[in-house]
Amino acid sequence: MLPVIHFLNILLPILYLGTFSVYFYDFMRGEKKFINVKRLFIFITLLIHLFYLMIRTFEFEHPPITNVFEIFTVLAFSITFSYFLLELITDIRGTGPFIIIISFVFQLISSMFIVDQFEVKEVLKNNLLGIHVINALLGYSGFTISAVYGFLYLTLYKDLKDNRFGLIFNRLPNLEVLEKLSFYSAVLGFILLTIAIIIGVIWLPQAFPKFSFIDPKLIGTALVWLLYGIGIFTKIFSRWRGKKLVLLSITGFVIAIFSTILTNFLSRSFHSFY
Amino acid sequence: MQLLAVSINHKTAPVQLREALHLSDDEVHELIKKAKDNFLKEGLLLSTCNRTEIYGIPVNSQTTHLELQKFIMEYKSSITTSPENFQTFISRDSVKHLFSVTSGIDSMLIGDNQIYKQVKNAFNIAEEMQFVGLLMRRVFDSAIRVGKRAISETAISEGAVTISYASVQLIEKIFSNLSKKSALIIGTGETGEIAAKHLRDRGIGRLALTNRTFEKAEKLAADLKTAVFPFDTFNDHLHKFDIIISATSAEGIIITRNDVEAAMKKRSFASMVLMDIAVPRDIDPATKNIEYVFYHDIDSLNIIVEQNVTKRKEEIPKVEKIIDEELDSFFEWYNSLKSAPTIKSLRDHFDEIRAEEVEKNINKFSSEDRERLEMVTKRIINKILHHPTIELRKINERGTGAEESAEKMGIIKSLFGIDKPENNKEKK
Repeated sequence: MLPVIHFLNILLPILYLGTFSVYFYDFMRGEKKFINVKRLFIFITLLIHLFYLMIRTFEFEHPPITNVFEIFTVLAFSITFSYFLLELITDIRGTGPFIIIISFVFQLISSMFIVDQFEVKEVLKNNLLGIHVINALLGYSGFTISAVYGFLYLTLYKDLKDNRFGLIFNRLPNLEVLEKLSFYSAVLGFILLTIAIIIGVIWLPQAFPKFSFIDPKLIGTALVWLLYGIGIFTKIFSRWRGKKLVLLSITGFVIAIFSTILTNFLSRSFHSFY
Repeated sequence: MQLLAVSINHKTAPVQLREALHLSDDEVHELIKKAKDNFLKEGLLLSTCNRTEIYGIPVNSQTTHLELQKFIMEYKSSITTSPENFQTFISRDSVKHLFSVTSGIDSMLIGDNQIYKQVKNAFNIAEEMQFVGLLMRRVFDSAIRVGKRAISETAISEGAVTISYASVQLIEKIFSNLSKKSALIIGTGETGEIAAKHLRDRGIGRLALTNRTFEKAEKLAADLKTAVFPFDTFNDHLHKFDIIISATSAEGIIITRNDVEAAMKKRSFASMVLMDIAVPRDIDPATKNIEYVFYHDIDSLNIIVEQNVTKRKEEIPKVEKIIDEELDSFFEWYNSLKSAPTIKSLRDHFDEIRAEEVEKNINKFSSEDRERLEMVTKRIINKILHHPTIELRKINERGTGAEESAEKMGIIKSLFGIDKPENNKEKK
């Protein structure tokens, strides 16, 4: 099985790059005939990626969440998968390349540095941890997609204000749709992150004697959660809209990225497993 | 194929002449009747605001374009034309011209799909007047296929190419669902009226009008079933609208930055679109600096129009490719109507039936009878087809006109179910 895993590890970034290229070409050309080709590419990439994650899990006898590069490949999958569902449900096209490029970057980094890890800490084989991490990753995928749509909203907003009617104007959906996509992705991400936090709060003190609420990863996550919570609350109750809301989403995403880098690479705590 | 066509269109004649030549449906009916009584067997008469065209297969092969030109001019006797006002086509070029017209590449507004419906309507009238025979029906079917393919396979009709459509396209880049939005049209002149109708067609939720001459606004409001505001107080109501389109002939600014700022505060800075399609401008351009206000004037709308026209022009080669494909397909069918291919198809068709039946029943015959069975059945088929073959050859030899010959061949093919080349290929 190992040679297959190694082969797929090389193949996956190529597949993501291919999918991104088709989406990008379609974005530039806007021809109807690419709709099915695009969907075929993304579907095959996701299918092969799912197979890769499954055989990794069976071969190494643990879900691929035990180190940051395993997490990156899961993140690449969940971002593209969430986008694929979004494209099928909303039939909104033209935003794909901006999201798939993120998956490509995550997968490329993962493929370059991932190792075959047979031995992992016993605590990382716990099922609750699996649910906790999967929810957190899907939550962050939601925030990533929300930030991308937020960024696209700002770009289109500026183009409309400045009378620029280029590719962004012609290919992207309208401002209201971009705002909605950004908001709903953030809501979904927030719900999933909330579940991850609840599981974490219940399980972590039992699993780790050295558990502490002032752990950097917990503080970073709480900050991100709070920011999105405020955004969603103000949208629903204070009628915040448009630029303010998408800026909040982009800020949340940037904090989430910094918090992940800081907690995973710079500081050591009970919450660092690798 | 002697299909003649004469066209007066936006490329050959000024607007006054095109307008004067425009024929109402009643006039088209009358003219078709006259054409049938005099010199055309079958044809098509198309008249829109930008073109008047007549296509026809003459009864007499000596008939030329000149007769067709004279025929139209005599009907509209008050009009003076010169030869350069006419485009003339014959045979393949006539069919090609009709295909180009139907696809929209010959229109003044390239890709205008209105013409597609107008060609359909012209054909319906021709059919109703029994002016359509085997050939014109086939020409029309192919023309409609060209129109459909041009719309679905290319981007020839995509994007707004008029100022009023461009405003709607821009509005739809800001709002997702117009049925939940409200719009105010200031000025009910021609431009304002067109804009109001476009918004109504796009399903705008609430539409209101205002005009300096109140009665004029009331009249249009009654037609469109919308509300009317008095012109001197409309500024107090700006905050109630998501879209404001201004198209008055006022000499100066009628909506200031302060007016819009006040309105935006009242509507908690919910997005507002200001379309100033008046010359000189009605709305202070400084309003574009207010957050969530999307101000656009005629210059910005012109940018969209020009971009879309360029894009449509780039699609023309793709449409021409479709036209060539359909032309080839049409003439492949037309040529199959000549007597030699028809005789061959007919013989092949009968021989296939014979061979099928012989094969089914071959086991019922002894081995020495099988050869005789082949011979006898072949002889029967030869005898059945002898007379029709002679007659078909005679039609060709008489030279009574390609159209008459084609029509007879068409009937024979249709009777025996050999009128579709693809059917024959499948059988083979």
